[in-house]
Amino acid sequence: MKKFLLPLLFLFLFLLESLFAQYAPPEVFGRNYILAPHFLFGGILFLAIYAGRKYGIIYAAIFGLLFDIVWIEIIGIYLFLFPFITYLISKIMHVLQTNIIVAFFVSLVGIALLELGVYEMDFLIHITTLDFMSFLEMRFYPSLILNAAFLLIAAYPLKRHFESFAESLRDE
Amino acid sequence: MPQFFLNKRLIVLLVSIIVLVALIGFSLRERSKLSWPEQFLKDTAGLVQSLVSKPAHLVAGFFENLQDLQNTYEENKELKSRMEKLVSLEAQVQELEKDNKELRDILGEEETLRDFEPLQATVIGRNPDRWHEMIIINKGKTDGIKKNMAVVTAHGLIGKVKTVNQFSSTVQLLSAMDPKNRISAIVQGDTNVFGLVEGYDEEKKALLIKAIPSGVEIKKGQNVITSGLGGVFPQGLQIGKVIEVKPDQYGLNQTALVEPGADFYDLENIIVITRTIAQPSEADMAGEGEEEEDL
Repeated sequence: MKKFLLPLLFLFLFLLESLFAQYAPPEVFGRNYILAPHFLFGGILFLAIYAGRKYGIIYAAIFGLLFDIVWIEIIGIYLFLFPFITYLISKIMHVLQTNIIVAFFVSLVGIALLELGVYEMDFLIHITTLDFMSFLEMRFYPSLILNAAFLLIAAYPLKRHFESFAESLRDE
Repeated sequence: MPQFFLNKRLIVLLVSIIVLVALIGFSLRERSKLSWPEQFLKDTAGLVQSLVSKPAHLVAGFFENLQDLQNTYEENKELKSRMEKLVSLEAQVQELEKDNKELRDILGEEETLRDFEPLQATVIGRNPDRWHEMIIINKGKTDGIKKNMAVVTAHGLIGKVKTVNQFSSTVQLLSAMDPKNRISAIVQGDTNVFGLVEGYDEEKKALLIKAIPSGVEIKKGQNVITSGLGGVFPQGLQIGKVIEVKPDQYGLNQTALVEPGADFYDLENIIVITRTIAQPSEADMAGEGEEEEDL
């Protein structure tokens, strides 16, 4: 049972993003902003920080591929960026000490890198023609605030869960 | 040997970049359908999504109902006043329809570009990365959905079917930036003006109709509908209303900004439109130069 808990949790986050995109009332946030939820990636970064790099990167690759196939239909963007940024973040965490406030800010940096990376890639393959300044205003800052709010709520439960997961790995 | 490991990492990075470029190239090219592992994954995901989306629909519907209750009184008043107009309009429509049918019978022409069959579907997911504006619906190949069909709500056109799986399909919204996403449209007025809907202005939240000759006068508030000339969509689907007209870069053409009639955000139940008139086969189209519309 415990084995399935982790994939189920990430599957839930995966679906939660879509539900958020579908139901978040645009009136509340203003129609001029685009809020992109990155709850799944926030969770993956926390997994990498608290349960080890190996698990983080494996989950990043699997869910990156799933994300690409189900939502984007262009395979490669998230499949590459999820594991790559997870790797970078776990490298940064080697230097810093692992406490929850540092983990929160570093995860936020990771999500910012993801947004920037996806924007650059989409700009390259002409999915978007938005210029950089309006990208920052319309999408980047509002999305960061949204994801910061999510991480604020979810950071402590995620930390608890992943730490107990890491514990059970060590016991085996 | 730290040096060796550094090199190994570099090689992994380079190889993965090459794989990335290859994969993106593979999925960007014009594909008539997805490969079967992709279809299988999408269908499985669709199944889970439709399980989750049902309770979500209920919860969202409950809150919407609460909101509706708040302004019931005013809505009721407005609706009553509209009802009176509706009755006379209905009589008119019936008469016109009869007229139209009789005239058509005289001409001996039975099918028009206008004829279509609607197919109800429910939205079960939406792309959370908001670059590629796409939604996933719970009808697929087994329900008779094909690629490039038009998708509408009660308020107007919202997009077209991008890919079809067995039990679910993906709809690309009009607000998606896709240079291949072109729709042949008519700006209704004293004289109809033809143009192509291509592109979306994210800052003004408006569709762009480009390539309108500069001599033509277009006013604010004019209605825009599909023309049916592109070969896929039927004629007469509402797109939106003109909000602004501006000359293009070189002053040869003008661009009209069209506010879409449908809301691209609050999507729940949608209708997929099947055009009933026969479509010219590929073989007929070949040799007539470039085909470019609605692809």
